[in-house]
Amino acid sequence: MQNKTFSRSLNFVLIGAASVGILAGPLFLNDYWQHIMIVSMYYIILAASWNLLAGYTGQFSLAHQTFAALGGYASGLMIYHLKVSIGVGFIAAVLVTAGTGFLLGLLVLKMRGIYLAVATWAFSESMRLSIAALYKFTRGEQGLAVPSLFDSLAPIRYYYLFFALMVGLLLLMYLVLRSPIGSFIRAIRDDELAAKAMGVDTVKWKLFIMTFASTIAGIAGFFYAHYIVILSPVILSFNEIGKVVIMVVFGGLGNFAGPLIGAPAIVIISELTRDFGSWNMVFYSLIVIVIMRLYREGLAEFFRNWIQKLFGKKPAQNNPLQE
Amino acid sequence: MDTIIQTQDLTRRFGGLVAVNGVNFSVARGEVRGLIGPNGSGKTTLINLISGVYEPTSGKVFFNGEDITGLAPNRVAQKGVLRTFQIPRLFGSMTLLENMLIPRFADFSLDYLKQRGAAEERALELLEMAGIAHLSGHQAKTLSGGQKALLQMARGFMVEEISVFLLDEPFAGVNIVVKDTIMALINKMASEGVTFILVSHEMASIRQMCQKVTVLAEGSIIIEGTMDEIAADQQVIDAYLGGGA
Ligand SMILES: Nc1ncnc2c1ncn2[C@@H]1O[C@H](COP(=O)(O)OP(=O)(O)OP(=O)(O)O)[C@@H](O)[C@H]1O
Ligand SMILES: [Mg+2]
Repeated sequence: MQNKTFSRSLNFVLIGAASVGILAGPLFLNDYWQHIMIVSMYYIILAASWNLLAGYTGQFSLAHQTFAALGGYASGLMIYHLKVSIGVGFIAAVLVTAGTGFLLGLLVLKMRGIYLAVATWAFSESMRLSIAALYKFTRGEQGLAVPSLFDSLAPIRYYYLFFALMVGLLLLMYLVLRSPIGSFIRAIRDDELAAKAMGVDTVKWKLFIMTFASTIAGIAGFFYAHYIVILSPVILSFNEIGKVVIMVVFGGLGNFAGPLIGAPAIVIISELTRDFGSWNMVFYSLIVIVIMRLYREGLAEFFRNWIQKLFGKKPAQNNPLQE
Repeated sequence: MDTIIQTQDLTRRFGGLVAVNGVNFSVARGEVRGLIGPNGSGKTTLINLISGVYEPTSGKVFFNGEDITGLAPNRVAQKGVLRTFQIPRLFGSMTLLENMLIPRFADFSLDYLKQRGAAEERALELLEMAGIAHLSGHQAKTLSGGQKALLQMARGFMVEEISVFLLDEPFAGVNIVVKDTIMALINKMASEGVTFILVSHEMASIRQMCQKVTVLAEGSIIIEGTMDEIAADQQVIDAYLGGGA
């Protein structure tokens, strides 16, 4: 159990150091790199909430980016058509993504593995095509203008806003994972029938987690939309969920720290390889393959082992959030 | 006699095959009932029907006089009717302790915050009885076959309101020491008032633990009685030799 205490205090130190680093960031980051950080934080939220589904519940959903888009579109369309305030737009984003998440949850209730993946992919494609086709209402590929949250488009305020948002939502997800709900979803992932036989209401918790994760993606999407101030169906493309999958797998699937490492790593790698055009996707795919070959558990596990080696400790076997 | 589990003309078909055929079965509170029969005679299917894993094609299941036919397995479990699986089904990536806590807090309520300490103590006590407490921090998938059987069984006892425990082949593939441990656990919980339905091919254990035994063949009950009565029955001998009833 000493290992557990050790790895927990190590986590606190790492989280503290990272927080201080991020808070101090704007002191030495220019606008461009502040923007990269905001994008990273957005993807951390998206990846961490997808991890709840794929990593913890075993539901490999390919519709997660759709909810981020729905959060943005729900607010943007309300504001565009009905001239409501941004606050009302936020409420619309939460309600629409929670409601749609619940419905998608019902749709895939009996599905697992590849069937769930295909069904969620079909769902997200039909949403994307609908938004594009309903261009009279959504402005389609021309793009929907969304108001900015602040009167200045300088990234610094968004930087701190996204930091607070990320910390708040990660904390919320952490608490859910630490509660019995966290055990229920892992039990469902390991053996759904056994979970049922042990009294776990698998239907309720699968619907809950799908609704919860979708709403979190929706909230992230809402803020992101009001940051980038223009929405188009591109953000529903398969590329987007592909990125999220790569981030989580790269960082560590079913590992709480995974998306926190994987998302910024992928954002930064793709930024640095930007000059290679569409080759950058090939580039980071290669990195992922190499990491997966060497460290199937992802980068989070790699760093853990490495740090623990540094301190001469054996890896802890037992952190409930580690698996 | 106070009946706790009862089935009424319970039938389950799989395509053309009638796996359980019009079974009228009743078990008294506090009994340790043996359920035996040749391979494929419908024992597991009967357990699946009682525990809600399968819905019957026709017929009914009663628990404490209440109709529980067609209830989802988790609802049946919440009522205190637990079961194990012939091939142990555990939460492989979770630790033994976490496995134990799942049924204890399955009816999600905030009192888990207060109860967690006591529940962990109880879990360790049960794991101790099962002889696997030293592994409590390991992932369940790392256990041996016998240890898995032990964990699966101990886990059921974490439900405080357990009143019926359906055990499907608890002795399959376990050594003599583990078998004794399992038998001791069953005896202990039976003395505390838990009713058992024990599916097994281990006639010696059945004889030792069960006052009454039910014999299934081709989906129907062919006889019920003490082990001695059953052993002398020609129908049973025929059924086990594959000759049919
Ligand atoms: N899900 C299913 N689909 C189709 N047939 C099934 C299914 N489950 C059981 N059966 C069939 O029902 C019959 C009874 O099976 P069951 O598993 O209940 O037997 P059993 O008495 O438990 O046998 P064993 O001693 O081998 O465990 C068998 O012929 C089996 O093939
Ligand atoms: Mg069987």
